[in-house]
Amino acid sequence: MLWHDVRQAWWSFRRSPWLTVLIIGAMAAGIGTSLITLTLYHARAGNPIWWKSDRLFAVTLDNRLVDPQSDGNSRHPEYPPFMLTWRDAQAIYRSDIPVRSARMFASRRLIDPQRPGVPIFRAATRVTSADFFAMFDVPFLYGTGWPRTADEAPEPVVVISKAINDRVFGGVDSVGRSINVSGRPFRVVGVIDGWMPQPRFYDLSGAFDPSEGIFLPFGWTTAWELPAAGPIRCLSNDQVGSFKELLAAECVWLQVWAELASDEQRARYQQFLDNYVREQKEAGRFPRPLNNRLADVSTWLDMNDVVGDKSRILVAVALLFLAVCVLNTLGLMLARFLGAAPISGLRRALGATRRDIVRQHLTEVMLMGLIGGIAGLGLAKAGLWLLHVLLFLPMARQSINPQAQTIAHSMTHLDGQMVLAALAMSLIAGLAAGLYPAWRIGRLQPASFLKSQ
Amino acid sequence: MIAMQAVSKVFRTDLVETHALRDFDLEVAPGEFVAVSGPSGSGKTTFLNVAGLLEEFNGSYLLDGRDVGNLSDDERSRIRNEKIGFVFQGFNLIPDLSVYDNLDVPLWYRRIPAAERRRRIMTTLERVGLAARSKHVPAQLSGGQQQRAAIARALAGDPCVILADEPTGNLDSVMSGQVMDLFEEIHRAGATIVMVTHNQELVRRAQRHVQIADGRLIDVGPQQPMPFTGAAVQA
Repeated sequence: MLWHDVRQAWWSFRRSPWLTVLIIGAMAAGIGTSLITLTLYHARAGNPIWWKSDRLFAVTLDNRLVDPQSDGNSRHPEYPPFMLTWRDAQAIYRSDIPVRSARMFASRRLIDPQRPGVPIFRAATRVTSADFFAMFDVPFLYGTGWPRTADEAPEPVVVISKAINDRVFGGVDSVGRSINVSGRPFRVVGVIDGWMPQPRFYDLSGAFDPSEGIFLPFGWTTAWELPAAGPIRCLSNDQVGSFKELLAAECVWLQVWAELASDEQRARYQQFLDNYVREQKEAGRFPRPLNNRLADVSTWLDMNDVVGDKSRILVAVALLFLAVCVLNTLGLMLARFLGAAPISGLRRALGATRRDIVRQHLTEVMLMGLIGGIAGLGLAKAGLWLLHVLLFLPMARQSINPQAQTIAHSMTHLDGQMVLAALAMSLIAGLAAGLYPAWRIGRLQPASFLKSQ
Repeated sequence: MIAMQAVSKVFRTDLVETHALRDFDLEVAPGEFVAVSGPSGSGKTTFLNVAGLLEEFNGSYLLDGRDVGNLSDDERSRIRNEKIGFVFQGFNLIPDLSVYDNLDVPLWYRRIPAAERRRRIMTTLERVGLAARSKHVPAQLSGGQQQRAAIARALAGDPCVILADEPTGNLDSVMSGQVMDLFEEIHRAGATIVMVTHNQELVRRAQRHVQIADGRLIDVGPQQPMPFTGAAVQA
């Protein structure tokens, strides 16, 4: 039956080839434009750790002053600050409720490759806890993360990215070898294999920055009095002139993440946070009502407005354009089907039921939608390539991080999900454009057209 | 085969009502060849549309012993497909399809298996002398050949009755003669034929002649079929 209807559609295409091309072109334009914007949106809106997103929680505590000036987030004044103070991060980290947890912040360190011809360079660095790697399922090319005992000591161990390993060690297994970080030798314990979550959910201060090349145990924060490369926001009028003053001040600059295996564990951890804040209130801190939040990854991405209104508006405009294309196609399909109504009338006279006629016409329009979808994929691919070459690649070339070009590529890459989206859009667009014309043609009385055939 | 009693058909617009058929009674026996004539606008085509279940109507209509007055649209389609063969003035072949595929259309809608469809199509095309033209599209055939292909399409489904609407209306005298010969041959083989025409020479070749005037039937009665002379056949 399907083959029969496909053959009818083929004959119909041959009967009016230019109209066919016009309809397919309209579909392709709508689907192609939508795909381009959806791809950009998808790259921004994806959850890079969806498989355990509901077990990973960003911890936030509301230590703001009562003064509205202290709100910080103008769009969502109800949200607590997205980072924690040193003393809160330290206190919370001591809890043994989570399966895993990590404190962290971004920094920068000088790397001396100590190889002829390879200059000293500055590398984006993450100072974090041992659980970071297991908690975020970080893949290793060689070795593994450091043990918890290395955190507090701190031990001179380091995890490096594949890009750093390529640059400093020429890509060989460097586990056990020494790397010079800011003038001090560190032993490489692990090499990360191309890990680049997009968006970089664990620290959204640079949501689409590459992940870091150097990972150091958290104990080096105080041992080295490491400066943070990310934002530091002070919520009081404390004077912060030194590292020690920063650690004591009401300034937020650390992220804390916890892995909680069950709802019960989450409830207990929430209780722990609330109790901690109640204690702090007695000490004169946390003047606002309790507002401590555990945000899973999806919620965290939403709270940080990673996607942004511009992306949403762009997608809405593209979908509106697709709707206009579908409406135009609907008109063209109606004209096309009515033009061939005498043949449909004849088929009805020869025994076709209304269902036969509607199905045959729907097959025709779905087939055109499918071809339009494939052409739209081609258009989207070409459009994204242009965006990549003209916009993203020049921006990536200005970055010092070698992963930036890979990110630029991923932002404009049509993945399997987008191909499926194109297929779904083409079928939905075909159905939307063809349902009414097919129904109309099925309702016509066969006798009306037999004389004119 | 066909038994119509008090059949009526009214076309209504906002301003006017047109009674295309009024209290129309007609019986056609199995194997009969009936010519239906009448002036333009008398209701001939409406009668044919009603007889072919292409339009709804009021009154009683038994086709092959079955009351077809209150059938659903799907049932009407099925009966059209199985019991009625249509031959139209303008041939009404689908221009994109070959002769073979045109004959296949009604058989496919009946969901007849492919091998059986092929056998029926080739047998029928041989019967009308078009087997060698099975792969031609209608535009590659003469008018007479097109009408023979249309008759073949009507015959391939082995219908109870063939309804023909001015079947020679678009043909010259030679081709008209050939088509009428074919109709007579089909009739001799036992087919029931109802042919609408206002050409008197064609009327004379039928077994029975009925006239329609103002939507009503005037039965002229049985007649001795006359041989075809080839003169003045244009409708």
